[in-house]
Amino acid sequence: MSAVPIRLALVGNPNCGKTSLFNRLTGARAKVANYPGVTVERRSGMVTALENPAELVDLPGTYSLFVTSPDEQVARDVILGQLAGERRPDLLVAVVDACNLRLGLRLVLELRSLNRPMVLALNQMDEARRRGISINTAALSQAIGIPIIETVAVNSQGVTELRKVLDSYAQQPPIPNGEQVLTLSDRQESVEALYDQIESLIKQHVIQPAEFPRWQDRLDAVVMHPVLGLVVLFTTLLVIFQAVFAWATPAVDLIDGAFAALGEGVAGTLPDGILKDFIVDGLIAGVGGVLVFLPQILILFLFILILEDTGYLTRAAFLLDRPMRELGLSGRSFIPLLSSFACAVPGIMATRTIADPRERFITIMVAPLMTCSARLPVYALIIAAFIPQQTVWGIFNLQGLTLFVLYFAGVVSAALIAWFMRRRAAREEFPLLLELPSYRWPMAYHLLIGLRERAWIFLRRVGTIILALSIVLWFLATFPGAPEGATQPAIDYSFAGQLGHFMQPLFAPLGFNWQMCIALIPAMGAREVAVSALATVYAVGEESIDAALGATLAASWSLPVAYAYLAWFVYAPQCISTIAVVKRETNSAKATTFFTIYLFALAYFAAWATYQIASAIVN
Amino acid sequence: MNTAIPTAAITSGLRLDQCAKGANVRVVNLIEQPLFGAQDEHVSLRLKELGFLPGAPLKVIGFGLLGADPLAVQVNGTKFALRRAEAAKICVEPISI
Repeated sequence: MSAVPIRLALVGNPNCGKTSLFNRLTGARAKVANYPGVTVERRSGMVTALENPAELVDLPGTYSLFVTSPDEQVARDVILGQLAGERRPDLLVAVVDACNLRLGLRLVLELRSLNRPMVLALNQMDEARRRGISINTAALSQAIGIPIIETVAVNSQGVTELRKVLDSYAQQPPIPNGEQVLTLSDRQESVEALYDQIESLIKQHVIQPAEFPRWQDRLDAVVMHPVLGLVVLFTTLLVIFQAVFAWATPAVDLIDGAFAALGEGVAGTLPDGILKDFIVDGLIAGVGGVLVFLPQILILFLFILILEDTGYLTRAAFLLDRPMRELGLSGRSFIPLLSSFACAVPGIMATRTIADPRERFITIMVAPLMTCSARLPVYALIIAAFIPQQTVWGIFNLQGLTLFVLYFAGVVSAALIAWFMRRRAAREEFPLLLELPSYRWPMAYHLLIGLRERAWIFLRRVGTIILALSIVLWFLATFPGAPEGATQPAIDYSFAGQLGHFMQPLFAPLGFNWQMCIALIPAMGAREVAVSALATVYAVGEESIDAALGATLAASWSLPVAYAYLAWFVYAPQCISTIAVVKRETNSAKATTFFTIYLFALAYFAAWATYQIASAIVN
Repeated sequence: MNTAIPTAAITSGLRLDQCAKGANVRVVNLIEQPLFGAQDEHVSLRLKELGFLPGAPLKVIGFGLLGADPLAVQVNGTKFALRRAEAAKICVEPISI
């Protein structure tokens, strides 16, 4: 066994089945991280069942070494050994979709000019055969001078043989001058000459039917139809939205209930004291607070993975490109933004499907303006307490109308901010050039691996931050404890309470009293906590919180203040989980700070304006 | 008028963004798109790399939601979505099948 494992890199066009092949070769044990300084995902793993150790890196899909996106840039830099901290791969494993030979071979011929060791995996051979494509692999291999292995990523067919070939390369110790950087000389041959070569290769070694499978074209005629396509799209979106919102609820309730029961169980066995409080209210509640996001994340990503694998996602992006472009976004931002209505955390994680970094940034920045489900308890409490049950204009319920206005305010603000941020950036038209891949049946194996990966990323990278911050919040709300003979609720004496009192003058222009300010602090953990925090500071009994608390609030807040509090919750990033996920996804402290400050500033302004205007009207 | 338009484009005068759905055409050449500024050369290169080369047969297979933008085109058995600005770079001539 050699000390240093040989390094292999999978290179290929987007949609060539590269990632499925990666999962097959590594037994789906991928380490997922970001490349330094960029938000391009780096996936690597050890190839399983080899005699000699070999590390496999799954490079982002690329059409060419002459790059146009950050993804392609990373792929090229790794291949050339130009990326700091990344050793140049010892062997390139080029993956070519047998159904899309021209595009794949073009990249292979370009890679060949680098004179690096390379093998070619001719993927999706089963589908190619079904379409009547017949390839003389041996002759093609000889003609281009690269070993070719036929593979089918759906099953292990061919993958075993690919392993054998890789193993024989892995036997040789890595080439010592692995640090050496290759440079890309100016394009030696024109695109035309390269394509002429490909045409003659295909003419000699491949029998290819001219036509696409009929059902694919028929499906496209519906899916990309301006009317039928919209029906398909909105049905799909409705199902997703419904699933993330409703299907996740039982699972969320189950997790919530389980952790509450666990907390009670532990509380029963431990002696009263600070340790018990810490374990029950800090640790158990904190872990529970992380895990409740998991059902929504899993359900949303299951849908996204299915839509991606079948090839539908790019068609949806295609249909919605124009309307979204009016805001400076593109069709790709639609699903992340829609999911943010359930929860901004999975929504922001879903922005990975957006290729343009600027657009991805803007989408992340405006995603929390979509009214998430955690805001509903706060809205419901205040609306029920202050807005009369009244019918307006014959059909509308005034309470429902208020809720609609709150949702609408979020959407309109997001549109304006996206538009404004795009305006400020140098407005250069970014070419779309999106491949619409062939429809394919999704693979359960691939879906499960993708889901596991997302869940793991969330729990490890985001969960740990959320847990740490939850414990800090618990600490703030607990210490110092209430003195002997205290007349006020305990939170009033804590750091959080002091902070609330300290903040109050700052929030006086918005009409907020100190109770409202205190409630904002634990609500940083999750917005809906504002309800129980208000109950605590107003010392309302645990039973039937909403009704009793509503009555208390109605008695102690004026109407403009209630409106201002609602306006605050439309904008404020009152959610450490969202801030944590923004940090993880932008990979930038600066962007995260900007995100937090701009939303708080917006919330402050909106609440101030609401309070002042409402006060002027009421008086 | 842009004097840089090559003669071949003038003879046919048709650009991909002017084609109707279902049209079968052949690429004549690629022209400059001022909208892309300094990027234009890269866009041309990428279009060529994806197979939009003189002589390549194309089929317009669909349009996006508003203003028939973007458009979906099939080339060499692969389907691509192009925005109008990109499609306007591609001069074509009709072919009969």
